[in-house]
Amino acid sequence: MEDGFMYAILAMGFYITFTILDFPDLSVEGTVLTGGVVCAIMIEAGITPYLAMIAAFLAGCIAGSVTGILHVKLGIRPLLSGILVSTALITVNLVGAVVGNGGSFSGDGALSNVTISRSSPALFRVFPFTLLPETVGQVNLRQLVSFFVIALLVKLLLDAYLKTKSGLLLFATGDNAQFTTMLAKNPGTSKILGLALGNGLAALSGALIAQSRGNANQGMGLGMVVIGIASVIIGLSVFGKLRFMKPTTMVILGSVIYQACLGIASILGVPSAYNKLIMALLFTIALVLSGRLNRKKQEV
Amino acid sequence: MLELQNITKKFMKGTPDEATLFDNFCFSVEKGEFVSVVGSNGSGKTTMLNLICGTYRPDGGHIVFEGKDITAMPEHRRAAFIGRVFQDPKAGTCSNLTILENMALADNKNKPFGLGRAVNKKRLDVYRTLLERCDMGMENRLQTKVGALSGGQRQALALVIANMTELKLLILDEHTAALDPKSSERIMELTDRFVKDSGITAIMVTHNLRFAVEYGSRLVMMHQGKAILDKAGEEKKNASVDDLLTVFNSISIELGN
Repeated sequence: MEDGFMYAILAMGFYITFTILDFPDLSVEGTVLTGGVVCAIMIEAGITPYLAMIAAFLAGCIAGSVTGILHVKLGIRPLLSGILVSTALITVNLVGAVVGNGGSFSGDGALSNVTISRSSPALFRVFPFTLLPETVGQVNLRQLVSFFVIALLVKLLLDAYLKTKSGLLLFATGDNAQFTTMLAKNPGTSKILGLALGNGLAALSGALIAQSRGNANQGMGLGMVVIGIASVIIGLSVFGKLRFMKPTTMVILGSVIYQACLGIASILGVPSAYNKLIMALLFTIALVLSGRLNRKKQEV
Repeated sequence: MLELQNITKKFMKGTPDEATLFDNFCFSVEKGEFVSVVGSNGSGKTTMLNLICGTYRPDGGHIVFEGKDITAMPEHRRAAFIGRVFQDPKAGTCSNLTILENMALADNKNKPFGLGRAVNKKRLDVYRTLLERCDMGMENRLQTKVGALSGGQRQALALVIANMTELKLLILDEHTAALDPKSSERIMELTDRFVKDSGITAIMVTHNLRFAVEYGSRLVMMHQGKAILDKAGEEKKNASVDDLLTVFNSISIELGN
């Protein structure tokens, strides 16, 4: 469950870039880890996790803007812009990790892992979550509640934002960039803003993942695009018909369902090495199903 | 008010297929004119509109608007005073947004798109009144997604949206071409009313010779990047579809059709 909520923030990021802006953003593979590294370093330095998470979000925003600028100002295709940024971020994350460990960067063979020790002030080890019992049965209650609260907060803020003029302009840009142009607004600026937000959320998600796992390491970003987009698609196609439900809620539930599927696989005794294969398989199924649903909708 | 000065525009530049459409093309429009532009495919009508709106940059020459050189001004900045309705009804609105959201966005044109609420409930009546003028029943369907509207309704909405903020120039780019005869008649009447009511300067490209003759205060026929016919005032009033067809046919014969 807590996995579902921490990836839900990533999924909401993809809701902005993938669903609203129609931009398949691969830079997220890098920004998730960037968020994790930034957050881990700051928490290890004794900084309050709230501030660390905001910093992680902002770091993601910067990375996202770079993707946007590559695409909008330099005319590089969306997929390639994302690949360029995520590749560049490998170095950034590596250097960040080494510096965070107090080492000086020597070039290669460096330790690329920032650990958050059990005594450091991670989100679920600070007020107000310390008021809760640590675990209830098998469930890590503090983590579950704290991640749920963060996901809910992000959802409410995002809902509010999407109702503003700036938010509605994002929808317009994704739908019909010419329309934005006719409103005397540069659709490029709107795209960069959306990518910054999407990557900011991805980095925030990375910050939660790092806190949950107790470290931020180079493998963390792998498969994030698949997890994020699959959650969005599952959420929107399962709950899409419910009018009263906000898309952000659907996306959060999509993420919970997706993580539950992975959880069930591991309960059934599937070795964790098969995880990525299962992820890809689930994503394929989600894609095919949503394609079918869309076709049905068009026929009606 | 609008002047195209010595415009040169080439396509496929630097390739063996390079084609010069405009070579020293000059054209001007006076304030308050409603210009209908006709011409065969490839005569440069739409390219001219794209140059005026900033979708394309000319290879040479200047575009001057109210005494100001706007040749290098990007398209979205020109949109602050130039409105445009396209041939494709989908181009002027957002399908996934509701009528209300589309109008709310248009209502905020030329103002900053900040963190204020996008939809202002106090403006609903204004929107309804604007839609009532179209007489297409859209005023009661503000919450309907624009994607669910018919082509005619969408184009009417696009027209309303383009005219919601004060414009100096309205560009109509074959805006009735994709519609059935009845809808296109309707949209044309609506257009005429908008233009007359606001006294706005307008340029309309059309393939419908009857519209070109019946509406507007000036008639221009383009051919191979030149304005080969330009009638205004009394001359325009006396023009007939037959006259136009005669000129059209002579061009076609020239081309070997």
